[in-house]
Amino acid sequence: MARMSVSGFYAYYSENPALRNISLEIPDRQVLALIGPSGCGKTTFLRSLNRMNDFVKGFSVKGQVTLDDVDIYSSGLHPVVLRRRVGMVFQKPNPFHKSIFENVAYGLRIQGVRSRLILSDRVEQSLRSAALWDEVKDRLNSSAFSLSGGQQQRLCIARALAVEPEVLLLDEPASALDPISTARIEELIQDLKTQYAIVIVTHNMQQAARVSDRTAFFLTGEMVEIGETSRIFTNPSDERTEDYITGRFG
Amino acid sequence: MQGSPMNGISEGLSPFRRFRNLLLGGLTGLFFFFAVSPLLLIVYVAWNQGRSALNWEFISTLPSGFPLGTEGGILNGIVGSLVLVVIASSLSVPVGIWAGLYLWQDGKSRQAGLVRLLSDLLLGVPSVVWGIVGFYVFSTSTGMGFHWGFSAMAGGLTLGFIMVPIVTRVTEQALRDVPMSFIEGSYALGATRWQTMRSVALPGAMAGIGTGILLGILNVLGQTAPLVFTNYYNTGLPSSLVGSQGAVGDLAMQIFIYVHEPSQLLHVKAMAASLVLLGIVLALDIGIRLMTWGSRKIAGRVG
Ligand SMILES: Nc1ncnc2c1ncn2[C@@H]1O[C@H](COP(=O)(O)OP(=O)(O)O)[C@@H](O)[C@H]1O
Ligand SMILES: [Mg+2]
Repeated sequence: MARMSVSGFYAYYSENPALRNISLEIPDRQVLALIGPSGCGKTTFLRSLNRMNDFVKGFSVKGQVTLDDVDIYSSGLHPVVLRRRVGMVFQKPNPFHKSIFENVAYGLRIQGVRSRLILSDRVEQSLRSAALWDEVKDRLNSSAFSLSGGQQQRLCIARALAVEPEVLLLDEPASALDPISTARIEELIQDLKTQYAIVIVTHNMQQAARVSDRTAFFLTGEMVEIGETSRIFTNPSDERTEDYITGRFG
Repeated sequence: MQGSPMNGISEGLSPFRRFRNLLLGGLTGLFFFFAVSPLLLIVYVAWNQGRSALNWEFISTLPSGFPLGTEGGILNGIVGSLVLVVIASSLSVPVGIWAGLYLWQDGKSRQAGLVRLLSDLLLGVPSVVWGIVGFYVFSTSTGMGFHWGFSAMAGGLTLGFIMVPIVTRVTEQALRDVPMSFIEGSYALGATRWQTMRSVALPGAMAGIGTGILLGILNVLGQTAPLVFTNYYNTGLPSSLVGSQGAVGDLAMQIFIYVHEPSQLLHVKAMAASLVLLGIVLALDIGIRLMTWGSRKIAGRVG
């Protein structure tokens, strides 16, 4: 059932441990929320799942992360292939300085898709999945920067969906957006979970409660607790989790 | 001064703060003046002194008369400078951009560190040293190399080598200035280093690279020392790029020579030639800006 599985995972920035002994499962067609105070390692963890930390000098890992039972660090699975299967959306919308169409087509083009027909098809499909199609269908050739912040973030989601990933990683995807755009993104996550395994980092406790099936609480590089979201928020088993979700620190 | 922004800002402030605002405003103005006045001075002096010699004939005919140049124009210098720039750029632009791309993508490796160190050392080599090495390599018939004599090829390539580290440095920096979020966005979609470089980093860096090429060209346009040993000067147009007929004129060299002549008229023409050189610089600047307009937007340099 688990798409990805993490066990005994450690991550270091030049010898300084940023994550210690993390073990958890990322099931298909579910949303896993990662919560915890700033600097507790949420982003590090998320970026370890598609090896985006490989670009950080001095970064190293220990332990195991698997995607469909294949170890992503030691099996010879190429990071480029891994990232096509494990897509990522960043905190700040980061569309390319290209047209709306070309932003979504980018991931396909780099895989060598040339056919205009296939491209148009997949672009439309991805924009529909990201609930953006109706707003942009008449101006696919305008710059991505003519869109609002919320639209840009949905464009980035569409861009990630276009390469048909299996897992979608979202790092505080709504933290730079207004409440209405945030609500749209949350709705969208609900739609997407019917097809993908989703991991979302969020600072916003209500958001975690609204969108996720399971929640993991991180603190100073360790995972304190993981469980059904409803239980974590009503009846946490660790005192530190309770302190955090009731706002006593963080 | 009623309603000026400065007034608005100072309203309701204590006398001390008012005074401080005024003082800082004044200092800013003063520094601005010192920053732009050299440019104004150059244009003013060159225009004032050289204007009388500037006409169509001046830029469209070869020098004639005695002493040579008192009649006719500076076509030899204009053509020669352009030839030299084209030769120098054909060497330095591809090599420099390639080296810059290499430094960017392999940035932290030891080889890259070595290349960067060498490139910085080259930046500091005085142009007269370039000239004498260029002479030995390209021009002499007894030295190592090419036996090209005093020629456009020898001079142009020597200038090209001077340009390479400039283009390299600026290219690397321009690539580094492309926001990390775009680069990561590309990698996160499964792009390779090469694809990311070609489709995201390079388009975003074009404006900076254009500026680098321009800087290199401007440097080269003003050089005389490296040319003294490799091309020297030609009062006519070249019939070949190498060998005994291969030397070209050059605006900087022409100005240098004219100023040394005991002729009032040639001094005026040197000023007029400076104006032409400034015009070429301006045209190149505008041209490169237009060519990299799209990229300037990406880099956030314009609207
Ligand atoms: N590129 C980096 N180099 C060194 N240390 C880093 C880097 N990124 C994050 N860290 C450190 O790792 C820890 C976890 O950071 P991060 O994963 O960004 O936390 P979060 O996303 O939960 O706020 C912090 O102490 C942070 O300083
Ligand atoms: Mg973070």
